[in-house]
Amino acid sequence: MSAFAAVIRKDLRLELRGGQSILALLAMSMLVLVVLVFALDAARIRSADTAAGALWVAMVFSGIVGATRALGAERENGAIRGLLLSPLDPATLYAAKLAAAFIFMAVAEAGAVILMVLFFNLEFNASLVRLAPVLMLGALGFSALATLLSAATGHTRAGDMILPVLAVPMFTPALIAGVKASTAALSGASLGSMSDWLKIMIAFDVLFITAGYLLFEHVVGED
Amino acid sequence: MSAPVVETHALAKTYRLAPVLREVNIRLMAGRGAFIIGGNGAGKSTLLRILAGLEAPSDGRAIVFGNDTRKLGPRYRRRIGMMAHQSFLYPNLTARENLEFYAELYSIADPVAAASLWLERVGLAGSADARVRDLSRGMEQRLSAARAMLADPTLLLLDEPFAALDAEGVSLVASLIHSAIERGASILATAHSVPELDGLEFEVFELSHGRLMPYAPKEEVRRGGRFRSILGR
Repeated sequence: MSAFAAVIRKDLRLELRGGQSILALLAMSMLVLVVLVFALDAARIRSADTAAGALWVAMVFSGIVGATRALGAERENGAIRGLLLSPLDPATLYAAKLAAAFIFMAVAEAGAVILMVLFFNLEFNASLVRLAPVLMLGALGFSALATLLSAATGHTRAGDMILPVLAVPMFTPALIAGVKASTAALSGASLGSMSDWLKIMIAFDVLFITAGYLLFEHVVGED
Repeated sequence: MSAPVVETHALAKTYRLAPVLREVNIRLMAGRGAFIIGGNGAGKSTLLRILAGLEAPSDGRAIVFGNDTRKLGPRYRRRIGMMAHQSFLYPNLTARENLEFYAELYSIADPVAAASLWLERVGLAGSADARVRDLSRGMEQRLSAARAMLADPTLLLLDEPFAALDAEGVSLVASLIHSAIERGASILATAHSVPELDGLEFEVFELSHGRLMPYAPKEEVRRGGRFRSILGR
């Protein structure tokens, strides 16, 4: 447990010191939302489906930027080898990296939601509370997938290019469910009415967290 | 007689059809030290990475503490300390934070005290709060030595441990190696040429064209075959 906590603490410390991941995620979210606000018909700006779609586009793009950095600090100076040589169980390392990536993505998403409300002329009301679990499930699933893929592709020359090519199609089921559930949440629907979409997202999260936990040690090596 | 700490059987490694290591046989007993010398690209670093379990051999077997290095569990990894070309340190963390982090990974009871002790030992107490990226290459190498020895490993794999060090740094790292051998650790180190280290008695081998052979300068040949003992034949 202490090694798990040590890795998260180290990642948070590096993030607070450099601020690169969250800033990059927020900058990408802002860019996507601004582009979409100007690209869309003004009459559609306040609609829930448009806002939800824009938010998830921003989330996926910013998530990919974050994912390419997920193990970046570990590759620098070969620190990943230091971790793999240590008594730390690779599955625990995966769990810690996933937890750190989720925290960064959740913080960035909170910022993106505020930007979405402002850019799409929405109101700060209870619908945003219903949106929270949808976004958290999305962030968890994307972090689980991206951490695993980042480990698998990070030591290849074209890793940064391969990652989005793999991540976006694989994330599609959760993406569709997330957009549908977010649209429902922003339209004022109850959590119960979006339970089918939430179940898909939960299944996606369980699948990729389990896959990451089991496969991480086999894909993270240099060999 | 106790089992060897490191043992390899016809170890081979090939990168994209190019053989790097060919039929390397090693037997290193507890409390013994050996230097493997060789030029750039001779395969020294590859050999150490395989022994650390960071790479898989293409053929043959590498056994450390009686276990195949492809399946080294946490209990055995804990007993290995490694210095490599890369320092395994985080540039944006301070020297102290790096050591405390590794001390936590190795479940050392008091990470703060252990970090302070090792910073003192490698002469970096004055730079404890400097970020690694602001340290000189030599200081980073000393810190890397501290990281490798932090958990008192019983096997030290040292890839060019004296690289980038000034005379004082070489003497300091040599004394740490000496202390490790005194407490019973085994050392397998690499270098480009035979290091001249006072008070350290190492067996020396040469890795050439992927094959490990006794390093035998003329005067040593006349003295007798003291180089053969780690070659597992």
